[in-house]
Amino acid sequence: MSYYDLDVILTDSEKVPCKFELEVPDLGYLDNNPSQPLKAGTSVNLPLWLAELLALTHQSSTPFLTLSLPPALGDNVLNALKADPRAVPLRDQSQNFYGLGARMLDLFEEPELGVVLRRSFVVRAGEVALHGRKAGATGDAGSAEDFMRGLEEWEKKLYRQAHEGAKGHKEWMDGVKK
Amino acid sequence: MALPLPPGLVPTEVAFLCEMEMVTIIPRQRLESISLLSGQIPTLRPPHRAQLPLWLALLLKKQRRANIVPPSWLHPASLSEIIHHEINIDPEGFSPPPPPVTRSDGRGMARPYGDSKPGDMVLSPPFLPSCAADAPSSYLPYHWLELSETLLAHASDDIHGAAEVRTLLRDLQEVRAAKMRGSTTQLEGGGGVVGLRGVGAMELAESRGFVLGVVEGVRKLGASAEATRREEEEARSEGGEESDEDMAFG
Amino acid sequence: MYGDLGNKLVQYAKRTQSLGFLPPYQTETVRGVTREVRDLDKDIAQRLEPFGGSFNPQADQATACTLLVNHLSIRRNKRCLLAYHKSRTDKLEELAWKGFDVVDLAGQQVASGNAGSNLGSADGGSSSLSPQEEDYIRQYSDLLAAYKGQWTDIDLTGSLEPPRDLFIDVRALKDAGEIQTEYGAITLTKNSQFYVRQGDVERLIAQGYLQKLG
Repeated sequence: MSYYDLDVILTDSEKVPCKFELEVPDLGYLDNNPSQPLKAGTSVNLPLWLAELLALTHQSSTPFLTLSLPPALGDNVLNALKADPRAVPLRDQSQNFYGLGARMLDLFEEPELGVVLRRSFVVRAGEVALHGRKAGATGDAGSAEDFMRGLEEWEKKLYRQAHEGAKGHKEWMDGVKK
Repeated sequence: MALPLPPGLVPTEVAFLCEMEMVTIIPRQRLESISLLSGQIPTLRPPHRAQLPLWLALLLKKQRRANIVPPSWLHPASLSEIIHHEINIDPEGFSPPPPPVTRSDGRGMARPYGDSKPGDMVLSPPFLPSCAADAPSSYLPYHWLELSETLLAHASDDIHGAAEVRTLLRDLQEVRAAKMRGSTTQLEGGGGVVGLRGVGAMELAESRGFVLGVVEGVRKLGASAEATRREEEEARSEGGEESDEDMAFG
Repeated sequence: MYGDLGNKLVQYAKRTQSLGFLPPYQTETVRGVTREVRDLDKDIAQRLEPFGGSFNPQADQATACTLLVNHLSIRRNKRCLLAYHKSRTDKLEELAWKGFDVVDLAGQQVASGNAGSNLGSADGGSSSLSPQEEDYIRQYSDLLAAYKGQWTDIDLTGSLEPPRDLFIDVRALKDAGEIQTEYGAITLTKNSQFYVRQGDVERLIAQGYLQKLG
């Protein structure tokens, strides 16, 4: 059930840039100005759990705010991913990079973003599998560490699964001799 | 929480199931026929060969009451041929599984094993005779990894060229594991299918968690694209047949 | 900003997932979140009061927006609270199935956490669990015991490893009393060795009384 899923909840707390379409007197605190009203056209960074519904709820034809892609999914990041997915430390962009990406794909019509994300995920997953199996025995220790440090949450879960599988296999192989 | 294990079988469980495979032994002592759940064990009269489940064969071997005859695919020549196939002939997929076992019915026709009348149950490992001495060589059966490791551990003196077999098996495992890892790269289309024909039980158990994780991730990233694609398809086939709306995508 | 405390709770919960025990219950943070919810609720009531039950969102969009923000914050806090508590009860249930004793679970300190360990130091009676959690795990353990009790031949919380050998050699690491086997009763004194049926002694091995040899 994703309601209780901790990773989904944390992904929802990621902030995205929003632009208010109307003036709201009492929401100044969202822009760190509690005594001031929030003017129309102000840009603030709001968490997804707040921003998404405010963007989708509208009484007349204009929503309360419009939101745009977060910088973690900006052009420079996507271009870097297109060049070599394995060289980008996704964790530095966002701990829940793919989770955030999936939510953005739900909200926006961005087929190219989907293509880049899927390709990056699959290529990086292959790299994760390699590390899971060797678990420290790689010759190129330096870059391996950098790559592993740059893994975001979905990839860390993949690594755990690859590692558990390899570990189970090895334990059985060691145990078969007894 | 009640069942902490991941879905599917775990390596120890796979090995346990493998012990149900029938293998050929050469008894060194007489043993009367025993009636077991899996069937009647034939009376053991040395030096006539007999077929027993692996677990019993291992027990007798440990007690020095029998020698195990390795299946014909567990031989340096056979393994070398399989490795050649894996590397040179088909670098993408796995080597083919053994052909379906048939038995002649005495009337010049061949019927599938275990099929006494048409429409009977279809047998699968470990109920197929793929690890007995007369198993077809140059094919790796479903339980190849765990069976060969078990035999090498407990009956290496019965295996012809055991040292070479050990090295060849190691190479085979490496080649196939690399293919397993690489298989997920075909998935980026978000609807891709991975061909796993010929894969072994232990290999599945080891990589199941990872592969399912990748499939799940790609699905989540492609979910909205999938939904729009289906809507477009529905719009195109206007008012036609029922759409597969109740085919849940999770 | 509203929801920040709730977020902290969820992060605590996430860190707990990989541990083998439960860290202390975050009473203060939980109280903070519930206080925030009550404040938000009061704010909403105050805003709606002048309208006397006939609030038209179309007419006053700014107020509608504020109300929505408050409402979403309340829902967010609720979700964080529920997720935090559920992650802890899931962990408690997992530990119960693994065979941990209820008393150990309630009294454990941050340092300990192994199977069959002694009670943590009696440090001013501070438990890792909230009183409600202690009650929950006590009742859950009773439920589990009642369920298991229906089958005397099978231990539902026993090992999930497939058996390798029927009979095994074991050595007693400490005095373990007497056990019943099909061949009669045997007394397990420290350092004595026996060749016994694996099923009979599985539990004792798991608890550390016996050691499997070879």
